[in-house]
Amino acid sequence: MGRSQPRIAALLAFGVVAAFGASLAPARSQADAPIKIGIVGPLTGPFATTGVAFRQGAEAYAALHGDKAGSRRIEVIYRDSAGNPTTAKGLTEELLVKDKVQMLGGYMLTPEAVAAVPVVNETKTPLFLFNAATPVLLKMSPYFLRMGQNITIPADLGATWSRQQGKSRGYVAVADYLPGHAVETAFIAKFEAEGGKIVGKDRIPLNTVDFAPFAERIANANADVLEIFITPGAPAVGFIKALAARGLTQKILIIGQGEAEDNDLHLFDDSVLNFHSIIYIAGSLDIPENNALKDKLRQKFGADTTTSAFTVGAFDGLHVMYRMAENLAGKRFDGDAAMKSVTGYSWKSPRGPVTIHPSRELVQNFYVRRVEKVGGKMQNTVIHTFPSVEPPPPAK
Amino acid sequence: MTIASFILLYGLSYGLVLCLIAVGLVVTMGLMRVVNLAHGAFAAIGGYLATGLMVQAAIPLPLAIVLAVVAVGLFSLVIERLVFVHLYTAPELDQMLLTIGLNFLAIGGLTLFFGPNVYPTKLPPYLAGSVDFGFRAFEIYRLAVIGVGLVVMATLIIVFEWTTVGARLRASVDNRSMAQAAGINVPRLFSLTFVVGSGLAALGGAIGAPMLPLEPSYPFKYLVLVLIIVALSGFGRIKDALGVSILIGITETAGRYFWPEASGFVIYVLLVAVIIWRRDGLFVRRASS
Repeated sequence: MGRSQPRIAALLAFGVVAAFGASLAPARSQADAPIKIGIVGPLTGPFATTGVAFRQGAEAYAALHGDKAGSRRIEVIYRDSAGNPTTAKGLTEELLVKDKVQMLGGYMLTPEAVAAVPVVNETKTPLFLFNAATPVLLKMSPYFLRMGQNITIPADLGATWSRQQGKSRGYVAVADYLPGHAVETAFIAKFEAEGGKIVGKDRIPLNTVDFAPFAERIANANADVLEIFITPGAPAVGFIKALAARGLTQKILIIGQGEAEDNDLHLFDDSVLNFHSIIYIAGSLDIPENNALKDKLRQKFGADTTTSAFTVGAFDGLHVMYRMAENLAGKRFDGDAAMKSVTGYSWKSPRGPVTIHPSRELVQNFYVRRVEKVGGKMQNTVIHTFPSVEPPPPAK
Repeated sequence: MTIASFILLYGLSYGLVLCLIAVGLVVTMGLMRVVNLAHGAFAAIGGYLATGLMVQAAIPLPLAIVLAVVAVGLFSLVIERLVFVHLYTAPELDQMLLTIGLNFLAIGGLTLFFGPNVYPTKLPPYLAGSVDFGFRAFEIYRLAVIGVGLVVMATLIIVFEWTTVGARLRASVDNRSMAQAAGINVPRLFSLTFVVGSGLAALGGAIGAPMLPLEPSYPFKYLVLVLIIVALSGFGRIKDALGVSILIGITETAGRYFWPEASGFVIYVLLVAVIIWRRDGLFVRRASS
């Protein structure tokens, strides 16, 4: 506790100075100055695929819609957190104090977002969660806006859908941190409410390297559906490989969320075939908005690039940021007003129709996808759509 | 029965890979008391090279592994002559700082050449799939790892225990100045062990790649496990390193199977218990003095 006090004091001091400075600055230059956006994500390290996808999504948006929102120029600054919460917090402070950004985005992992809470609550800066999916996050800061999903929704839909497929013996294996626990609770509650039986649940420590023992436990429990939540990158690859080696990917229904996005499929071998996932986008989604984004991504980042949950999180994040900037045209940027100005806002996203719910979650489609080989190339194919899913009541 | 055999076989294969990676450090630390925290980098480079040669250059896996091991061995000789020679008389803190720096260099290099993501590995068809033992099926890959690991470790132990080179090595570990006085060229012996140790780490990294995914942060990710093996084995004790590694592999596998939530800690409980009980190494007889 003692150690964090100087930092809070520094922040308070900064807040006072910032407010004072703002009151002195001439109003006109404030209204014309470019809006700066800071994006914090893991551009290197074990979660680099996600951070890189954030950047691609944001750059594709700027390429498609220009660098101006109304009359104001938008400047995007990228910072690399390497997935480390302490780094994420430091970068957030730096972006606000040194670069004077008006909006923040990125934050792949829940701990990164949690680390930013005290900072943005102090500076009243809208922060767009491109991915972090723990329900309680939105309660921690009124300036958080979810551009991805509340992780309990795909877990809940996973239970519903697997019961519809006639699965009755459920198993839940999740990474042992906040969003994993939320997935576990949501899936079990729904699966049991729908008459299924939970035959096992595991919380997998984050430092796990050899996943074979977990695959063995799951196989021995005789489950017919497995709900998983595991961080993308090495852990996801290791876990899915271990499940495949035990024959489970072919034998039972395995449902995840963003473990094997299209852009990450090259990290896997064929063991990932028949892996199911429920999330709010699919690279193969054939709607004009997604096709336009895909064309831009291919043109800018190579023929193998496609839309993923992480690209579209950033893409839509920028869309709403531009919207906020336009809504506040001619005025000084104010976090509270900006947040208020987008409630209930609907638009057509590459992921389908989207509305910002008063709870700061999105009302959006969810897609059940299966990894298949199409023309020799693996992809996530949509096999079922849950249209316009409402977010659950806010976390307590 | 099936659970016990699973834990035994998977724990054994996991432990043997860790053993191959760590054994070089056990010996070199025993010999020169150099704390080489960059040891894991050799395993990582070996893994990347072998996988790269197989996937990109379509070289058969066994040949790719041999090439990777030789390349890493030669590379380590260069590093030893250029960098480590200056460390033998340096204080331990300097050794740690410099070798941690080497680790960061390795991570940067791997990211530069292979990208920041997991480097995908693929098993050749003859290693994919399982064999049925009647009561249950086991992955061929795991069995192959056990075979290779046991053969390599047995060879190493034979060399260490029953040849003149081994005798010189053991003498140098026990008392370096006396060994030097008796005419043993300890620095050259060290170069040799360093190269062999790095090559073994490369072998571990290469055959372990499907189990321990290759990513740039590899040198740090597995450092703790490697250091635990070194700490529990005691200086320069190859046989003990084998025993300790297998114990760790089986403990970790059993821990994950029976107490998944706590499995992140099981290994540390073992570490603390052993360090309190037997500070010099799990199988080291306590000196009576």
